[in-house]
Amino acid sequence: MACTHDHSCEDHDCSSSWSLFKHIDLSKVTALNEATPGSVKSVFKAWEERLSSSGEHLESNEGDPELLVYIPFTSDVKIKSISVVGGADGTSPSKMRVFINRDGIDFSDAQGMQPVQEWDLVENLQGVLEYQTRYSKFQSVASITLHFPESFGGDTTQIHYIGFKGEATQLKRDVVATIVYEITPNPSDHKTRAETGGGLSHVE
Amino acid sequence: MVLEATMICIDNSEWMRNGDYSPSRFQAQADAVNLICGAKTQSNPENTVGVLTMAGKGVRVLVTPTSDLGKILACMHGLEIGGEMNLAAGIQVAQLALKHRQNKKQQQRIIVFAGSPIKHDKKSLEMIGRKLKKNSVALDIVNFGEDDEGKMEKLEALLAAVNNNDTSHIVHVSAGPNALSDVLMSTPIFTGDGEGGSGFAAAAAAAAAAGGVSGFEFGVDPNLDPELALALRVSMEEERARQEAAAKKAAEEASKQEKGGEEQSSSQEATMTEHASGGTSEADNKKNDLSDDDNALLQQALAMSMDEPASSHDLQDMEMPDVAADDPELALALQLSVQDSTKDSSSQTDMSKLLADQSFVSSILASLPGVDPNDPSVKEVLASMQSQSESQQKQDEDKATEEEEK
Repeated sequence: MACTHDHSCEDHDCSSSWSLFKHIDLSKVTALNEATPGSVKSVFKAWEERLSSSGEHLESNEGDPELLVYIPFTSDVKIKSISVVGGADGTSPSKMRVFINRDGIDFSDAQGMQPVQEWDLVENLQGVLEYQTRYSKFQSVASITLHFPESFGGDTTQIHYIGFKGEATQLKRDVVATIVYEITPNPSDHKTRAETGGGLSHVE
Repeated sequence: MVLEATMICIDNSEWMRNGDYSPSRFQAQADAVNLICGAKTQSNPENTVGVLTMAGKGVRVLVTPTSDLGKILACMHGLEIGGEMNLAAGIQVAQLALKHRQNKKQQQRIIVFAGSPIKHDKKSLEMIGRKLKKNSVALDIVNFGEDDEGKMEKLEALLAAVNNNDTSHIVHVSAGPNALSDVLMSTPIFTGDGEGGSGFAAAAAAAAAAGGVSGFEFGVDPNLDPELALALRVSMEEERARQEAAAKKAAEEASKQEKGGEEQSSSQEATMTEHASGGTSEADNKKNDLSDDDNALLQQALAMSMDEPASSHDLQDMEMPDVAADDPELALALQLSVQDSTKDSSSQTDMSKLLADQSFVSSILASLPGVDPNDPSVKEVLASMQSQSESQQKQDEDKATEEEEK
């Protein structure tokens, strides 16, 4: 199994450095424009299994090679490089644009926004190429969104494997869900449950 | 209970003045919208619903996706009819409104009421459909009102372009005596792809029928006591699952057992239907039970989770009216299987059901094959009933006997 570094692989196991896949929150991974809902989960596997497609891979809808993959992690990670294995016959993605820590991106957002980094990909059917990131920008990544706008001429885009190399921290990024801003707050608008007598049982 | 944000697109064009749906097309539409909003918010409290109109001066969003039912009902007042419907713009604005929903975890859904002729061509509708599918937005279409050439084709083409794994649906409602909302209630638009459907559909039906009675499931206001409402709903669903399994078993027994005891089972059925006076739906049964005494049902739910055979009796007793209506033979078989398995418990649950109507009790007691008239608990109950105590007392007696039995 060839690696991109100069030494032979018998000395160490390359798979350990591609171990970020263990930190992916698989249940919350989603993709837009996938032909089979849920097929996106099959592209995240161990480094050794990156070429063994049991038939399951991520494919975009017929006639539309655009793909958008949203990947949340279980803890904040630092990503050093990304590896993508596409499909044969021009169905590999040709470009990749990534966005960090934003959820709910759809196609019109992705096309308009400036990505954190973008790459021109090559056909990487053996899975030996990795694309280095600007590490300083990928220091505390809670979720990453990959946008593949086009393929190498195929009708659809196929992806067999996505791998991340880096390290995981134990931290979790805090996200504020909804914020209500008040210019002149009024305490009577914010009665606590204790003041209103609770909601469950009343002792008469 | 899918977490969903829904945008409803209302057709308020000139074609809605027509009275072929009672009272008018527009009113029928408004009723359907109200019911859908209620159903969505009840199936999951975090669901949000928004409304926009497609005709008039232009597409106008009346209320952005919110879980506040009052706001939605209020905005339906004072809507004016006029202009022509712009389906494409309506769907696109709905998609935009959904894109900016507050909770990004919600699935996106658009419900379109297409009552007037569609002036767009099939190609552009298909493009819109593909764009919706690409952004994983589901689309439900209600085709009613005008039916000019090509309208159904165009809508079917739109649905085919959007549909991803059967999440989108189309319903054709023709004019007639049935109200638009009633027809919709049995469709997947209401039942949400078959999960938890009968719950709020039954509650909505009960609310529509009973008028003044609050349409809450189980007679408990989910706002006042959400934990209780949730616990009751969960136990209801568990019961349903067990009852289906038991019914399958009983259906097999039905072909084997065909003995007498018809008198007893038919009187049982009569008592059941009497007991459920307001209607024949399960929800009503539950409501009546609970309005008398919340604890009784809770205790039964507890008993169910602890003791399998006893629970199946309770289930079958409560399910009596529905079963009786569908298949008297099946009801018979259920009764027999109930009697045959555990005599004591069956007599005890029979007591609880029959307490509502005294006149049947003595005859039933005599004819019940499993009951031993000399059983002390039976004698106790008889004595209490003959003294003409109120239903409240009877429930207490029942609890006491249950405790004894345990």
